[in-house]
Amino acid sequence: MLEVRNGAGETLGVLFDRYHAPLYNFYSKLTGDRTLSEDLVQEVFLRILKYRQSYQPGTPFRAWIYQIARNARVDHYRKTPRHITFEPEMVAPVMPKDSAQQTEETELLHRALMQMPDEKREILILSRFQELKYDEIARLLGCELGTVKTRIHRAIQELRQNFKQIERGLAPREAGPAVVKQIPPRRFGNEV
Amino acid sequence: MKCEEIGELLPDYLQGSLKAEQDDLVEQHIAECADCREEVAIWKKLSLLPVEQPSAGSRERFEAMLRAYQTGRNDKASAGFERPKRAAVWNWLRSPAGAVAWSAALLVIGIFAGNYFGNRTATHSNTSQDEIAAMHTELANMKQMVVLSMLQQQSASERLQGVSFSRREDQLDPQVMSALVHTLRYDGSVDVRLAALDALSRHGAQPQVHKGVVDALQEQQSPLVQVALIDLMVEWRDPDAAQRLRNFVQTPNLNPTVKQRADWALSKLN
Repeated sequence: MLEVRNGAGETLGVLFDRYHAPLYNFYSKLTGDRTLSEDLVQEVFLRILKYRQSYQPGTPFRAWIYQIARNARVDHYRKTPRHITFEPEMVAPVMPKDSAQQTEETELLHRALMQMPDEKREILILSRFQELKYDEIARLLGCELGTVKTRIHRAIQELRQNFKQIERGLAPREAGPAVVKQIPPRRFGNEV
Repeated sequence: MKCEEIGELLPDYLQGSLKAEQDDLVEQHIAECADCREEVAIWKKLSLLPVEQPSAGSRERFEAMLRAYQTGRNDKASAGFERPKRAAVWNWLRSPAGAVAWSAALLVIGIFAGNYFGNRTATHSNTSQDEIAAMHTELANMKQMVVLSMLQQQSASERLQGVSFSRREDQLDPQVMSALVHTLRYDGSVDVRLAALDALSRHGAQPQVHKGVVDALQEQQSPLVQVALIDLMVEWRDPDAAQRLRNFVQTPNLNPTVKQRADWALSKLN
């Protein structure tokens, strides 16, 4: 990474090889939109080039790159407001081509994940798929390690609830008070 | 142990970072508690979701971006980068676009030399200011030529270079403008089309630019370019924009994101 910071743009190719698939997965699981994910990955690497001086040597590079990735996504939605409701057709491209072979369970799981609020889905993806350590996530989100763990636990709870409801053929909005109890109406932003 | 306490340990349990005794505690609990067991199960189940592969073109796009970026940087490079810059200039002179520029430069020198020596005896009072003005014009013409020739290149990154070259001039020559509008409409690469739009967006005050941009919307296929065009139309508060957008949203098979953007633009314009 130091090489990139010092202007050796060619080394960016090495970073690209290493990170473009994980970043792509991060975006595609988060947005359910394949084209957008590819665009955002390109944007991340352009930003790495442009802002490489902002990388502090000695700090974890992964956290830095995911910070850029999160910002790129936020900026994208600032420019292009997204659909407020979840659009099933946006998800379709992410599923494997041969969906007949996919178990029903995978589809349910995917739907359950996409029904979660962004913040919860993001933290789940970061910890489960991007294999970031909890302290890396804490640094990334700018919160305490304990908060990260609490959030992850809540996200798992919600995912499980969504999954069960979809399995039962219920939309989550029709869920009874049991769900309300499981998901405290706190917003992430208000936590310390 | 209560579920709440286990819940605090669960994230570490899932990453396998608990001490052996705490690990045992969690295991004991989930053996008895169905709720917590399901939470662990759903976490494990997430591995069912497939790992996605980016498309094959993404590496190529990255390389093109890198080249365009480096070219831009070489052009801007100061004294510290003298050597690579010189190499870049040399390479560029050898390229087809360079060859056109080079021959244009020779032509300009020839014309000036001819004019100068030809007029020398006839008009002594020829002011040097006129000459400088004429020289500026010729120079500007040469730059246009370079832009125009580069926009015709086979490789997308060279066309991209051409577009960025066009941005160096504050004044937009009509020929360059129409070439940029043509690029915006018909270039095969989305990146080049976007760059052309970006270059044109700085000249919104010119009616022809305005018209060219607004006209381009109906023919665009790429959602990225469509959205950028819509945004620009809103920014310019184009008088025709509302009517155009109303027609545009009727287009069959319109990308839902683009349609949403167009609806948003319409609400802005009304």
